[in-house]
Amino acid sequence: MTERIVGTERPESESEPTAGDRDVVLRGSDLAKTYSSRLPFGRSVEVLTGASVTIRRGEVVGIVGGNGSGKSTLMKILVGELDADEGTVDVNGRVGWCPQDELLYDRLTVEETFRLFGEAYGMDPTEIESARDRLAETLDFEEFLDYRIDRLSGGNRQKINLSIALMHDPDVLLLDEPYTGFDWETYLAFWDLTAALRERGTAVAIISHLINEQERFDRILELADGTLTDVTDEGSSQAGEEGVR
Amino acid sequence: MTVSRPSSDRLRVGLDAAVREFVREPINVALLVVLPPVVITSYESMLSAFPRLPYMTTDPGALGATAGTLFVAAFLPAVIGLFQVISAQRADERLSLAGFPELALFVSRLGAVCLATLLTAALSLGVLATTTEVESLALGFLTLAFVGGLYGLIGMLIGTVLPRELEGSLVLIFVVDVDEALASGVIATDAAATKLFPLHYPHEVFQAAVDGTAPAASDVLAAATYGAIVLVATFLVYTALAATGGGGG
Repeated sequence: MTERIVGTERPESESEPTAGDRDVVLRGSDLAKTYSSRLPFGRSVEVLTGASVTIRRGEVVGIVGGNGSGKSTLMKILVGELDADEGTVDVNGRVGWCPQDELLYDRLTVEETFRLFGEAYGMDPTEIESARDRLAETLDFEEFLDYRIDRLSGGNRQKINLSIALMHDPDVLLLDEPYTGFDWETYLAFWDLTAALRERGTAVAIISHLINEQERFDRILELADGTLTDVTDEGSSQAGEEGVR
Repeated sequence: MTVSRPSSDRLRVGLDAAVREFVREPINVALLVVLPPVVITSYESMLSAFPRLPYMTTDPGALGATAGTLFVAAFLPAVIGLFQVISAQRADERLSLAGFPELALFVSRLGAVCLATLLTAALSLGVLATTTEVESLALGFLTLAFVGGLYGLIGMLIGTVLPRELEGSLVLIFVVDVDEALASGVIATDAAATKLFPLHYPHEVFQAAVDGTAPAASDVLAAATYGAIVLVATFLVYTALAATGGGGG
């Protein structure tokens, strides 16, 4: 099971954090995960074999990897949805998570969805309303606030999915394939929003199988063979093969 | 920017959301209204064709109507409990990771099941009352509501450990059908194991309501104990498996 250290729960045995450490909002160390078959003679799949990642305030990190490389598994472990077999996750601040699939309630309206998740984050009604209106204006879904989620287009559902991850002003935002279904305008609005978050000191980690605008990222990590490698300066093997960067 | 919010607010918002989700699916409401009369009249007419066997204490037609009433009052909330858990499982996990308390999430899901339970109990009793004289409507309603709540919890439990709609529904159909057949006395059996089924004691109490006799205190106590055990077991399993807590959001 993953050891998960949140905020000030650091063990006493550890030394005082350095100035550089104080900027760290999320750190996953030596994460390992194997999916074991529950059936006899089934295959076990080793997904992560010691992946480590450190995310600091105000940086935009891209995590790239091929299909089945374990990107979503890594993301789920970092947010706490899944336990790793080995390793630790150290969280210093609020986490926002935008999963690849829109994990929303189909028959609630957009407004009701904000209210429900806002309550979960511990926000009061005024804060919820303010966050909802701000994000609706930025991502242009104001006219759909009273629509049910299952009656929205795929792109608009993805906007709500992203907004729910953002509404409580997280210190680190983890996005799993966030721009699937976005039109060009929304894609640009997304990057404007990311730039504004970076300006405010929010860390953003984007997991994607394709990264096609390298200049938007401070660092790019490649997940391959269960571990993460910094390929910011050298280009990833996947990128080389697929010509995506 | 966030502050600690009273858990009553979260509970209210969660319950409100669960109920809205439930009533906004027209097929849910339609089934709750249509199935009770269909099932109860079908059971009654099927068993009316049976001869009155020596071990039967009541007329087969009346026995069928009572059995159908208990079946439908148990089965519909069970299926709704199952679907409440399965259909929202991953969104519930996200909500839990965002900080929504597991207890509030459980109560929200159970709230929607209780709404369906009360509706089914009232409608089933109303249909039964058109064919059979029910001496104590209040006790009858309370027993049917208890049966619905009990099987609603069992539906949630099965949905948590077997989160598959088809397989879960089949398990519930089988369990409720066998349970009611054993409890109603249609099948003559003295096997002690029948007392372990959920409807054994509630059936006795419901029959007392129909007959206008006082229910045995031991039956009421046994049913209440059974209900409390199922409630605790479902809560523990649900919070352990269906809603995972964490620090994300």
